[in-house]
Amino acid sequence: MSKINHVRLENFTAFAKLDQALSSGVNVIIGANGTGKTHLLKVLYAATAVTTGEDCEKGFARKLLGVFNPYQARMTRLIRRQQGLPAAEIMVTRDDGARLKAVIDNQKADVKDVRVTGATKWEGTGLESAYIPVKEMLAHAPGFLATASKREIAFEEVYVDIIKKAFLPKLKGAITANRQKLLSTLQKAIEGKVVAKGEYFFLKNRQGELEFTLLAEGMRKLALVWLLIQNGTLLSGSVLFWDEPEANLNPSLMGDVVEIILELQRQGVQVFLTTHNYVLIKEFDLRQKTGDAIRYISLYRNEEKAVVANASDSYTGIDPNAIAGTFSDLYDRELRRNLGGLIG
Amino acid sequence: MTVLSDGDLQITLPDGVAGRKFDDDASHGLSHCMKRVDFIVDLIDKILFVEFKDPDNPAARPKDRRCFMEKFGSGTLDNELKKKYRDSFLYEWASGRASKPIYYLVLIGASALSAAELLARTDALKRQIPVVGPGNRSWVKPFIAGCAVMNIDAWNRELPHYPVSRISP
Repeated sequence: MSKINHVRLENFTAFAKLDQALSSGVNVIIGANGTGKTHLLKVLYAATAVTTGEDCEKGFARKLLGVFNPYQARMTRLIRRQQGLPAAEIMVTRDDGARLKAVIDNQKADVKDVRVTGATKWEGTGLESAYIPVKEMLAHAPGFLATASKREIAFEEVYVDIIKKAFLPKLKGAITANRQKLLSTLQKAIEGKVVAKGEYFFLKNRQGELEFTLLAEGMRKLALVWLLIQNGTLLSGSVLFWDEPEANLNPSLMGDVVEIILELQRQGVQVFLTTHNYVLIKEFDLRQKTGDAIRYISLYRNEEKAVVANASDSYTGIDPNAIAGTFSDLYDRELRRNLGGLIG
Repeated sequence: MTVLSDGDLQITLPDGVAGRKFDDDASHGLSHCMKRVDFIVDLIDKILFVEFKDPDNPAARPKDRRCFMEKFGSGTLDNELKKKYRDSFLYEWASGRASKPIYYLVLIGASALSAAELLARTDALKRQIPVVGPGNRSWVKPFIAGCAVMNIDAWNRELPHYPVSRISP
């Protein structure tokens, strides 16, 4: 199975020049708001999505358009805003040597004019993937796909895609012990299993069936992961993109989430996630076992205000660490409050 | 200049500041029934209760280090720190010496601890030793002015007049 091993972005959205090697395991992307974490996730997702299913027909440029949804469908709006507006370049590489490249010319806003190269080899090997957006969508599934197919709606394509993935039926055949372990961990956290009736999802347990609209949003997210594992979307060789797994989740469940992500990685799933959450990254640090591959990619703005990255394969090497930095500030202020009489 | 040490850690007091080792069987005399902090420092208008915990002590066995970090993370340490403060306060009060605001300073000699972990332990200690009384009202006779859990870096940053350091090179 080939993994995504490199990404290069030039003059694309917030990035002046990002040239980043990626882990075949878990990639944890951190950074302040506006440093392009979700953009990086979406670029990589667009690249994987076009290797399978109906997105094969769509091609990389149209998938980028769909997931970013720029105003008036103008691809030039994805070029980093600066004087002169040079072309934007995206290049994603896999470890089998396949290389997908897109160039957005500053004079040509139409998606048809985006120059994509390397697509034939890139799309030759399917890379199953799922993108879990920050906003939970399963509760809004009824009617959403039909509406999205007929109307112009202001939802990025990732929302449509994840509902489609969630609707995939259960994978045939026996469930391996590893997958069963994952499903059991999730069932314990959400206290039940997920069932679909038509376009409606329910959490089923001893008390009966609870419609998703009555379920806490954090629980719905975990229920979605349960569905993706159960229906075989997240199998060895697939890629999981998860934008802020911590959203709407109580910190006490973070350990379970990290354990599931690490276990998926152990089973051969490549993972890209973004986070603002200290508990989440600390859980990775504490739960990492020998052999687990975790890369922390810290995005930050340099003196020229361009987003650049620093990567580290250890928690302590994250620099700058915007999340821990915030805690340092809180801690210092707490000390000053507690010891004010001494310090002053 | 007075230097107070315990294991591999030491605190240097400026000239004119008196401090004593409190965790001492001979001088304390009531160790069978009362817990005690390591040092008491007497400033002009304040008193410092100082407790050292040193998992990074070069002489510490890996097992002890692991055991300490478990205590640190689980909250067991907070309970121990609370008892040490309470008994030490009672001892000093009954001795007629608790007449100034008391600050409780806990030094954890573990360089790997993050600000988040130290913040969590400082919050937990504040919950164990109520700085304010019931209904969030001030005590008529406050028994603690403030407390903090720090590592060596944080201590020296916030309290440069009372620097702490390792004895081993």
